[in-house]
Amino acid sequence: MNGNRTSLILSCTLAVLLALAGCNNNPHPRPLREKRADGTPWVVSHLRIPDDPRSLDPQFSYDTLGHAVIAQIYESLLQYSPFKTDPYELEPCLAEGMPRRIKNPDGTETYEIRLKRGVFFHDDPCFPGGHGREVTAADFVYAFQRIADPAVECPVLSTLQEFVAGLGPAYVEARKAGKFDYSKPTGAITVRDAYTFQLHLLKAYPQIQYWLAMPFTAPVPREAVEYYNGKNGRDPFKFHPVGCGPYRCAEWARSRLIRLVRNERYSATRFPAGGWPKADDARFTSLAGAPLPFLDEIQFAVIRENIPAWLLFRQGYLDRSGVGKDVFSSVITAGQTLSNELRARGITLYRDVEPGTFYSQFNTDDPLLGKNLRLRQALSTAYNEDRANELFGNGVQLKAEQLLPPGVVGYEPGFKNPYRTQNLDQARKLLAEAGYPNGIDPNTGQPLVLTMDVVASGAEDRQRAEFDQSQIEQLGVRCKIEENTWARFQDKQINGHFQMNTGSGWNADYPDPENFFFLFYSKNVPPQGSNYVRFSHPEFDRLFEQMATMDNGPERLEIIRRMNGILVEQCPVIYSFHPVAFTLNQPWLARVSSNPMLTGGLKYVRLDTALRAQKISEWNRAPAWPLWTLGAVLALLLGYAIQWARKQNV
Amino acid sequence: MPIWLSNLLLLAGCAALVALLRAFLFTERSRRALNRLRRDRVGLACAALVALLLLIGLSDCFQINPRQSALDYAFRNVPREEGYSAPLATTTFNERDPKPLNGRHLLGTDLLGKDVFLQTLKGCKTALIIGGFTSLIYIPFGALLGILGGYYRRWVDDVVQYLYSTVASIPGILLLVAVMMTLGKGLDRMAVALSLTAWIGLCRLVRGETFRQTAKPYVEAARALGQSHWRIVVFHILPNVMHLVIINAILGFSGLVLAESILSYLGVGAPVGTPSWGIMIDSARMELSREPAVWWPLAAASSALFLLVLSLNLLGDSLRRAFDPKAG
Repeated sequence: MNGNRTSLILSCTLAVLLALAGCNNNPHPRPLREKRADGTPWVVSHLRIPDDPRSLDPQFSYDTLGHAVIAQIYESLLQYSPFKTDPYELEPCLAEGMPRRIKNPDGTETYEIRLKRGVFFHDDPCFPGGHGREVTAADFVYAFQRIADPAVECPVLSTLQEFVAGLGPAYVEARKAGKFDYSKPTGAITVRDAYTFQLHLLKAYPQIQYWLAMPFTAPVPREAVEYYNGKNGRDPFKFHPVGCGPYRCAEWARSRLIRLVRNERYSATRFPAGGWPKADDARFTSLAGAPLPFLDEIQFAVIRENIPAWLLFRQGYLDRSGVGKDVFSSVITAGQTLSNELRARGITLYRDVEPGTFYSQFNTDDPLLGKNLRLRQALSTAYNEDRANELFGNGVQLKAEQLLPPGVVGYEPGFKNPYRTQNLDQARKLLAEAGYPNGIDPNTGQPLVLTMDVVASGAEDRQRAEFDQSQIEQLGVRCKIEENTWARFQDKQINGHFQMNTGSGWNADYPDPENFFFLFYSKNVPPQGSNYVRFSHPEFDRLFEQMATMDNGPERLEIIRRMNGILVEQCPVIYSFHPVAFTLNQPWLARVSSNPMLTGGLKYVRLDTALRAQKISEWNRAPAWPLWTLGAVLALLLGYAIQWARKQNV
Repeated sequence: MPIWLSNLLLLAGCAALVALLRAFLFTERSRRALNRLRRDRVGLACAALVALLLLIGLSDCFQINPRQSALDYAFRNVPREEGYSAPLATTTFNERDPKPLNGRHLLGTDLLGKDVFLQTLKGCKTALIIGGFTSLIYIPFGALLGILGGYYRRWVDDVVQYLYSTVASIPGILLLVAVMMTLGKGLDRMAVALSLTAWIGLCRLVRGETFRQTAKPYVEAARALGQSHWRIVVFHILPNVMHLVIINAILGFSGLVLAESILSYLGVGAPVGTPSWGIMIDSARMELSREPAVWWPLAAASSALFLLVLSLNLLGDSLRRAFDPKAG
């Protein structure tokens, strides 16, 4: 009996010790494999996403989160060049070359596209034998049919149907029939052969090329959509993506992890043969033409809170991190460089200007602000953006003097907006010319009252609103703040129920000036579009219509310059800033592209697993002294207890 | 509203309050209680502190011109800075580009360069408005319902009980947030929202006390003399439950100030630009996570809130002891 008990205790102790030996603070699940077939290490990258994507259906998903994953699984005809960001440039991806533009005599246009051969969909049970078949022109026909299918709810249909032939009628017909007929062609695409097709446009629209680089137009295998229908225990297609990109989705554990694994048959692109900055010659020359992707596995960990994600990054368990506002001051120094501590760890900081512009808006339909140009100019001249940037943007945002952000064709570096540098004397002069000397309304003898709508969901929003209010009130004008929820703010913008508001902005869907200037085109007043300021200027409209369909060139640039001049002079908005993003990479993660438009850039990323293992071990070494101290205290207590017990016995 | 009218209304309100208090203090019972209170040093110190804070609040309500209150006028020489500055610092709290300050600030300045000491004092006004307006709404309502329920009993009491049981069954903070979301932001709306829940405690208390009082011989005597119900309630019962109302009002005041801070902390309280301790504490969430942390706005607002709430509670306790008939 005693022997049994002893062996039981010993086994339990051994089991506990073994379990403890297996414990560490690595939060990630084990990789799919330890080694590649050739015996080299299996390379896994650990990245964070702040939530589960709503869907991984390329024709449906329209959020940054979804695109961060989708762009690794699906590829499109074109992609953004990893190195060319000023201006942004497109290059072929699934297409063999850039699409050939054909202008038809009736004003319509056709783009002829040839596909690369030997591009295969991921291996998946939806295909016969589980082997992905080759991507052909028919898959693009199907993708465009899906865009028009009401059941897919493609969010860009409303835009594309204006330009792509057949999408609008196909959608209407499907709505009437209650089902989309995939056996009927939409008229958007004509297949010339298995690897060549033509895309038909209703009118000139050079921006279509940018759409061909977005996931919406990515090829989707019909077999997968039909197989993954949510029945018989199978996921719906939006949760089981099957594409032809560099990675396939191996696992999606909701709220926990998305695991992507290298597509062994990927061949659509290779590492560029050149085009990188001269400074990177040493890094990239040896990689020129190398097969992609470099990583074997990507684990997107779903981490909702910023602080745990930051702590994991510090421990080395995340390869990349943004710089949140809450840790900004401890990470970025006064000179906008990395703090000494992080630099000593070998972490690299990247600062990228994003293709977007933020501004405060005037409702030009408003009887007061809409008609009084001088008043708008006065308010714009009074606003101190540099101080706002210092207070709310850690002093790192790029002050906006024009609508177009850097990298977009037409952006003028060094352009000075005469109404965007704070000059209170000039502002007061303009205000007097507007009919309100010292901010007093001559009709009432009281200060002029303006109402500003803001989204105030937190302390910083409120402080920002108070700052904006103070900028206007320094002219003697009174500014009433209307606090809104985001939904109510949007409603007011759409219905035009505001006088002025702050905190609006636009991030480029594609880096073309048309994607920014359309915000001020009079035919885009809601509900038709996003001209929330209700700006209407015949000259601007005429130039917009001309510019929108032109190819880039000196003539287009001149028109863009004139349009920019009109917006600067008319002040429908007060430009604030172009957002700047800070990214931190661990020493083992080599960054290749700084192009924020290239969402599928993980295929170019390389990682040094040996260095990561070494650094993680260094950074997570537990100090031994607490254990020794505890041991000493326990020994003392034990000694005292033994002595006490002996005395008691005596 | 013109400045002269708002100032006049403010003075009239203060005068009415003083007159009411004087009328109450002239009763025999109140005089005895006051005598007892004079011996309570803690109570007196708390009363003085509360009075001081309320006076500061009042001075910020009194407008000198459209842009300045009396309090602003008193601090007119305190300059505004470029951003954060630590208490008594000489430069702004900015590692990147520290700039010399225009003056010294006892408790530093906030993100927008406003003097934290002045903002803390201005928080008294918000506390006063919330505590004052809400009390003006809920005290008459709660006391009236309590007395009616306790005096008439039967179906009147049933209705009163049904009312407060129903309202009390809804979680207070949720109800407040829901009402604020419906009414929108504003101190007046917050006072209405807070009154919706604040009257219940007073009503229960007064109802119970009225039960006790109606059973007493003096009420029987008044009835026997043929006095009307109205006269009995107003001239006999009300003065005898008034001490409870005052104690409850003082203790309730501190609860209201706290509630304002909580609602402002949750983002549904005071509107943008209102100096409020709750908003200052809310902003500290961000400020404390800065490196190095900005602690002084939180310290100032929390201390002021703590001081006022503690003083009110201690004063309430002192008053309760003073009015206690069993006390010597």
